[in-house]
Amino acid sequence: MSTTTLVKDRIEHIDPRRRETLLGYLLVLPSVLLIGAVIIYPLAYNLYLGFTEVPLNPDQSPTWIGFQNYEALIGSTRFWDATINTVVFTVGSTLLATAVGLGVAILFDRTFRGRRLARGLVLLPHVTPIIAVAFAWQFMLDPLWGNLPDLLAWLGLYESEVGLLQSREQALPMAILFDVWRNFPFAFLLFIARLQAIPQSMYEAATIDGAGRVAQFKDIILPELKGTILIAILLRFVWEFNAFEPVWLLTRNLETLPIYAYKSAFSTYDQGLGAAIAVMLFLFQLVMVAGYMRFVGEDEL
Amino acid sequence: MTEFRLENVTKRFGSETAVSDLSLRADDELLVLVGPSGCGKSTTLRMIAGLEQPTEGSIYIGGEDVTHQSPSERSIAMVFQNYALYRTMNVRENIGYGLKHSSSLSADERTTKVREIAEMFDIDGLLDREVSELSGGQKQRVALGRALVRDPDVFLLDEPLSSLDAKLRSRMRTELQHIQQELGVTTVYVTHDQKEAMTMGDELAILNDGELQQTGTPEATYARPTNRFVASFLGSPSMNLLNVNTEHRTGGVTCLLNEQELVSLSDDGQATDRSVQLGIRPEDLELLAEPPNDAVTGTVRHVEYQGNDNFVQIEFVNSTLTCIVPTVVQLSPGETVGLNFPSDHVHLFDMETGDTIRTPPVDPGEYRNQSGALSADHGESEPQSGE
Repeated sequence: MSTTTLVKDRIEHIDPRRRETLLGYLLVLPSVLLIGAVIIYPLAYNLYLGFTEVPLNPDQSPTWIGFQNYEALIGSTRFWDATINTVVFTVGSTLLATAVGLGVAILFDRTFRGRRLARGLVLLPHVTPIIAVAFAWQFMLDPLWGNLPDLLAWLGLYESEVGLLQSREQALPMAILFDVWRNFPFAFLLFIARLQAIPQSMYEAATIDGAGRVAQFKDIILPELKGTILIAILLRFVWEFNAFEPVWLLTRNLETLPIYAYKSAFSTYDQGLGAAIAVMLFLFQLVMVAGYMRFVGEDEL
Repeated sequence: MTEFRLENVTKRFGSETAVSDLSLRADDELLVLVGPSGCGKSTTLRMIAGLEQPTEGSIYIGGEDVTHQSPSERSIAMVFQNYALYRTMNVRENIGYGLKHSSSLSADERTTKVREIAEMFDIDGLLDREVSELSGGQKQRVALGRALVRDPDVFLLDEPLSSLDAKLRSRMRTELQHIQQELGVTTVYVTHDQKEAMTMGDELAILNDGELQQTGTPEATYARPTNRFVASFLGSPSMNLLNVNTEHRTGGVTCLLNEQELVSLSDDGQATDRSVQLGIRPEDLELLAEPPNDAVTGTVRHVEYQGNDNFVQIEFVNSTLTCIVPTVVQLSPGETVGLNFPSDHVHLFDMETGDTIRTPPVDPGEYRNQSGALSADHGESEPQSGE
């Protein structure tokens, strides 16, 4: 009893304006604590791990080794190969998924019977559990009974003995293809909403003005969708850069940075190296996103 | 200069007939297509523009059959109800867009034309503005400029004033008429507002349910409507209609309601032996403050103050009549007033078909314009068929 009255007494003696400020801090404190615990702490800990060698024995604490992990990475071809794979995979799948999404959205921007159903079906690749579709694709790409190699062979485009997922050269385009197929509905969804906000009369005015389909695409659709397209590219870029499961579940013959980090940390138990790769991944991404924002201008987004 | 013509045009959407067997023509004048919503007026305009294909019939512009031409091949320009300005372009680009795509002018010539039209519409100060920075009235001007910069033979307007406020609307109305007269361009104007149609049109084409009801000057259609629809659609407040019995008496026909004699008409023999509806416009119905004993009477129900006039609602037998009286006439609800139906203002309609049986004899001098349709058949009562 006496302590509560004491605290109450002390609170009442604080200057009212200061009391207001303190209350403000008190109110945001839970969010700050939560963000600190689930975001800042793991991030900082990962940064710390990157400078250490983590012993397998949980009783021993990590040994500080300075920049050794980073030096090893920068000197290794495996790291740079993985980086190139990541960049090619990210840029390829981001641009293609956006382009395909835009194309399909334009096709769907009209009224026809069964439009709602068709639109739902287009979303299927994006919402089906990835484990199921990854295995379906593996099956389709199988050199023995897969229908895709079969089709390609029939067209005379493919005659290798090696399966399409077996070598890095072919696994990379296949991974991009799979990822585009899985993620174009996301871009589609963003674009179709925006397209439907363009009044029909604007196309009609352009038709009267003598603008053909191509001119209408260039002068109406693209400018109207510019902001949405830039956002779609940014979001997909960030997600693809960190993407793990679309590549890992489809093929083990393509190593991107997230996969390299995973293998280092959990297959070879070099947690320090894994953490260092993750930090490099984060840095690359930071530079690229900053460059992108610079390039398109913040106002456009 | 350019004549435009529709010949027996029909448009069906599936099983729905939007426009049926419509023939129209206009020549250097302002033709207003007017009717309630869903009457087919916008569909007609879109067919003239080439945005819809007629199911049957042909469209001619300047003598040439354009029925199967694309919108840009026809020499037309259109202003849309929501303006349909290109939101991602500035005013200059909006106006110049059509020139860029469907004229062979050089960039310099285009700049000059855009500047000229902008000056004409008093928007030359706004050329570098974005569309989103414009007010409603400015957007309207840009839309008009964008349409007229291409020197169209036929100028199409789809309810262009409906999204402006009342004051701006009446200003734009005069301005549009002015421009149309100055350029002498054949103009088709679509509106649902009968008042706008009457004040703007050289010619009206009144549509209902996809069918043409009547064409003619505003004066002619107002004074001599061909049927009950036209009679009640034009004019505000609309024409009073009463179901009456007719009786042959010496010298003409008498209209009776509830055994009360409303009016005797000396000129009509056709009205007998049919169910008939009597129509009288609110401004023609006369009120008698001290009715004689044998007069027809009604009860004042409501007086609506309008500023310069009062609209008086009168309960009469089982219906309500509207009458326009000067504000000096003091009436209060519940009061009994005498009603006089002047015989030279009474319309009669066939109860079933709605066709006009009698239009009042008209003195042409009474109306502000001469009108060919009116002068010849003075005092006659032939039902006028749709032109």
